[in-house]
Amino acid sequence: MSAVITVKSLAKAYRYAKRRGGFFEAFSPEHVTVEAVAGVDFEIGKGERVAIIGPNGAGKSTTLKMLSGILEPSSGEASVLGLTPWKQRKALAYRIGVVFGQRSQLWGELPARESFALLRHIYDQEAAPFAKRLGELTERFALTDLLDQPVHRMSLGQRMRCEITASLLHGPNLLFLDEPTIGLDVTAKAAIRDFIREHARDHGQTVLLTSHDTRDIELVCDRVIVVNQGRIVVDQPTDQLRRRFLGRKIITFQSAGQGVSLDLPGVTRRASEAHATILEVDTRLTRVERVIAAAMADGGIEDVTIEDPPMEEVIAEIYASTHAA
Amino acid sequence: MRRDLIAACVALRIGAGQAMAGWTVLAGRCLFYVLIMTVLSALWDKVAAEPVAGAIALPAGGLVLYVLATEWITLALPSVHLRFEDDIRSGGLEPHLLRPKFYLLQSLAQSLGGTLVRLAALGVTAVVWLAATGRQGPPAATYPYLFVLGVLAVSVGMLLYAVAGLCAFWTRRILPVMLVIQKLMFLLGGLFAPITLYPDWLRKLAEATPFAAHLYWAGVQALAPSGPMFLKAAAWQVLWIVLLSLLCVVLWRAGLAKVLREGGV
Repeated sequence: MSAVITVKSLAKAYRYAKRRGGFFEAFSPEHVTVEAVAGVDFEIGKGERVAIIGPNGAGKSTTLKMLSGILEPSSGEASVLGLTPWKQRKALAYRIGVVFGQRSQLWGELPARESFALLRHIYDQEAAPFAKRLGELTERFALTDLLDQPVHRMSLGQRMRCEITASLLHGPNLLFLDEPTIGLDVTAKAAIRDFIREHARDHGQTVLLTSHDTRDIELVCDRVIVVNQGRIVVDQPTDQLRRRFLGRKIITFQSAGQGVSLDLPGVTRRASEAHATILEVDTRLTRVERVIAAAMADGGIEDVTIEDPPMEEVIAEIYASTHAA
Repeated sequence: MRRDLIAACVALRIGAGQAMAGWTVLAGRCLFYVLIMTVLSALWDKVAAEPVAGAIALPAGGLVLYVLATEWITLALPSVHLRFEDDIRSGGLEPHLLRPKFYLLQSLAQSLGGTLVRLAALGVTAVVWLAATGRQGPPAATYPYLFVLGVLAVSVGMLLYAVAGLCAFWTRRILPVMLVIQKLMFLLGGLFAPITLYPDWLRKLAEATPFAAHLYWAGVQALAPSGPMFLKAAAWQVLWIVLLSLLCVVLWRAGLAKVLREGGV
């Protein structure tokens, strides 16, 4: 498999002035250096779908910014589609698509149709292939009714569908996705994950994704790079990671009376509150529906919430496990 | 280069479309223009009718036409400085940097599109206001020349605002810069009174500034239209458009280098 991304000893340190109290100290600020990415190495092959995960401040977004060319590294090398991103940003821009979940690339006050029309000219696309691609994406993402709506009036889920469409209109070989499902409801997340996976598979597109949501990783990516404090902790196929770390769910039962008490394999009770029982379920040993059925049979359940364990917890577990090894 | 210009033209068209789509805001500006002119014309009529002893004689017809032109330009200006400040401070620049086209050119083209629509709408308002108040306007044959100077004038103003906006790369907040620019527009641009009323040395100094290119030259053409004055005005305006464009490019490149190095401002 030919490498689409090659990264060698890539590092980024930020230097900022630390404010100190006092009038005269303001003229001689103390400078602090923070190592955001501390020399990472990896390769990503054509058609691979790779997730970079890690807690806040781990260096995920910094890595993505360096690879997309909008941030210069402090040291190290990177090649993306044969180009050095921060030196050939414009040439690279024609060949990559980027989605920042927390930042819109569309013009908020414009209808999506006009944003897309402007993007055609920004990416120097011929009218016919562009129209064909837009037609396909519009149909796949059910955007027909949204095209004439200003982007700022759309819901987050609708906007994200338009964002992803916008990032694909020029037919990029490589897609960078930074938290693409952040803030979306369950249905919108599922639609976006399905789309990214299927589109990348059908078009042989390489995907590099960062996320806080373990489901994004499980359902979209076939390889996971775990970073912590700017370093790669784990780099392995998603299947392996899933077997070891991603098979857990947190189920919270709200009840009017006393808490839920279950004796099932792989089910442990977490610190709970009055009228709320929090269970951690190892889904490899007991399925979620079985836990819920057992709790319902117990009676008195008013509400149920099912969540993935927080990313920080998963990372801590991976980190502890790799260091113990 | 050709493709860059095509993309800029599309951005200009979209900017114009946006201004027309927000017609209620545009109508509000026109009404505000009428309100301002009603107040200022009353003021200048009174000044012309009761000259202060020893004061400089004002041009015939008062300064209403002059103020009509300077307010026409001022009210058509886009808030491009706020857009730049917001994009630079919030990190909203990042998606634009991931595109193969020049952000500065695209943004200015889009702003200019909206400005041209406002300039046309306010121009029509000015003509209607003159007719409604029974005032003598400049000869109709001079309107095309006035429009050319108006377009050049708003371009100078937009570039001055762009310079202020790009300062956000270093200052983060541009309010202090904007206050200085707006005061200089007022003083050296001759917002309410032509700089011909200034002492000779100050007049010569003011005429050579971008602030006069932004306001004074179009205003004086409305007051006393003449061919040589039109050419002189256009020459000053084009000169400042070139110089301010170069300054914007220099600031942009320096600011971009900072963002690429530091990841933000």
